Amino acid sequence: MARTLVEAVGIEVRRGMGVVLSNHHLELNQGDIMVLEGANGSGKSTLIEAVARLLPLEKGHISHGEHLVVDHEGRRKPSPLNVSLVLQKNGLLGCERVQEHLDIAMRMTGSTIDSTHFLEAFSLTHRASDNISNLSQGQARKVAVLSALLPAFASSEPCIVLMDEPDAGLDDRSMDALCGWITELNHLGHGLIISTHDERIKSLATVRHHLPDGTTTAVQNENHETKLSPQRPNSQQGQITPGQFGWNMQWRTLAWLNQNAMAALLTLGILLSLGELSDNLTEMQQLGFILAPALAAGLCGDAMVAMCREERTASWWYCVGTGTPHSGMLPFLLGGGITLLSSIAHTGSIELNTMVIGAILTGCVAHLLRFAQQSTERLARPQAVFIGLLTPVLILPYALLLDLLTR
Amino acid sequence: MKMKVGEVLLLFGFIGIATTMLLAFLWAPSVSINAFESPAAQRIFYWHVPSAWAAFIAFGALFVGSVGWMFKRSELMWRIHIAGSEAGLATGLMTVWSGCVWGAAEWGTPWDWSDVRLNTFGLLTLLAIYLVLGRNSQPDGVETRDTFAAFGLYGFILVPFTYVATRIWSIRHPGPVIGTDDGGSLNADMGLILLFGTLSFTLLIFGHMLTSMRITSFEQRIEALQIQLDGGK
Repeated sequence: MARTLVEAVGIEVRRGMGVVLSNHHLELNQGDIMVLEGANGSGKSTLIEAVARLLPLEKGHISHGEHLVVDHEGRRKPSPLNVSLVLQKNGLLGCERVQEHLDIAMRMTGSTIDSTHFLEAFSLTHRASDNISNLSQGQARKVAVLSALLPAFASSEPCIVLMDEPDAGLDDRSMDALCGWITELNHLGHGLIISTHDERIKSLATVRHHLPDGTTTAVQNENHETKLSPQRPNSQQGQITPGQFGWNMQWRTLAWLNQNAMAALLTLGILLSLGELSDNLTEMQQLGFILAPALAAGLCGDAMVAMCREERTASWWYCVGTGTPHSGMLPFLLGGGITLLSSIAHTGSIELNTMVIGAILTGCVAHLLRFAQQSTERLARPQAVFIGLLTPVLILPYALLLDLLTR
Repeated sequence: MKMKVGEVLLLFGFIGIATTMLLAFLWAPSVSINAFESPAAQRIFYWHVPSAWAAFIAFGALFVGSVGWMFKRSELMWRIHIAGSEAGLATGLMTVWSGCVWGAAEWGTPWDWSDVRLNTFGLLTLLAIYLVLGRNSQPDGVETRDTFAAFGLYGFILVPFTYVATRIWSIRHPGPVIGTDDGGSLNADMGLILLFGTLSFTLLIFGHMLTSMRITSFEQRIEALQIQLDGGK
């Protein structure tokens, strides 16, 4: 008997002011191609995002491979199975490279395969080393679709493949290739949930799930006698963590220089321009001056948060990875460096202790701000929220820290 | 046109506050010149303390509304959340502004970053600004409500913290003048005006919140009608 990969029991999901899914049930077994059918606004994307653990449930629960992953009491646990995803937005950063993104997606499963054949079929071979930002919308969509398919091809374990309108913007040749791969994944024993209006993909369905009523119909499908490629050789590769990814992207874009380091340098410059006014400072005030650039750097938060909002990259990472990308140790290093500079500029000497304190200050403040920024991710316009209004909460702890250090 | 309860309370609140100010400037006894740098500025206390009291009521309503929305998904509770944040913003600004004026006269500086109570109260007011502006920047929906209700809950931690801050970490801000073990430091006339001001601000804040809830209710009805016209349910 086929193993159940996804089970949604009595789920209710609200979006905006409406209830999109109500008392909804769904079961996806190994080897199923489940096509979601329904008019615009019937809840297809919502169902895919709920299964991907991206949406909270008002009622019911969802299990992956018999392990509860999300329920109405707010529990959200990592999936025990490999999950790959393509949302309506591509989940890519413009500064990522095509091959790099596909490797990252595959490494989430712990193994990789040669993607040459896939890139050829999608006419992307010549773009393999290119930045995503240089691709056309259709090409970027192909990369997003491949990043959902390749992990399943690389994985030796059954995968859950979630695709929301993968056909959007694809030409006929690419659609033929996509349909072939979907059938192949079905034969390899993976489970696919696909939301689409495309008749070619619909014809591949083994199960049709209609929304909003939630009726499921099994389909006898002759298309399944497709000639299969031999099992592709895979090699073991460790996962890339969100911190590693964030670190790489920060160095590639130098976003930290534009955002955090500039704020710190400007603060340092302003304090130094006070000249004689800063000559007769108490010990606490002087330490406050030395550490102020580090605090300013931290108060700018983490540039990765804004970057990941571009194409719902954070959602993609949350679903397929182990968390959302962040800058990791970078703010700590920046804080240490800027405090060293500030210390030399103010006192003419290098103080290791102060440098360490500056590093911790910037790192902690930047990550605290990141958590605050990420807490607004569910909003329709997270960039429109005035999170900076809450940053003065950090001034008092800063003052208490200075007091403590100079006692 | 028939006035609603909220508007009646608002009207009485305004009249009471205006009377309090008149009494504060014309009738309240002066404080000792030895105890204060700027004795005349002390009269702002009849505005400052009642508005801080009203702000605590508003932030209490914000907390109740946030909890109610998070656990009951109740429309009424969401209206209370909105009313609490708007009233908290209004009274928080009144308190902070009047405190700055008094601080400038008495301490020689309008703000002291090292004073816990000043800072926590300032932060509460910033939280109210954040909630009001943030909510206005988003379409209404469960995502918006969940997020801001969560911030409302976190912010409420600051209310008891602010209340006890004067007793524990008082650096510059004066300690409580009522509700203390020694019976307080106010004479009878001062206490009477303060009580009248507090009652007036209480009427104002309840009037403000009831009116705000009524406006939100109208907005929700308009939105429901718009959705109906769009062809939705």
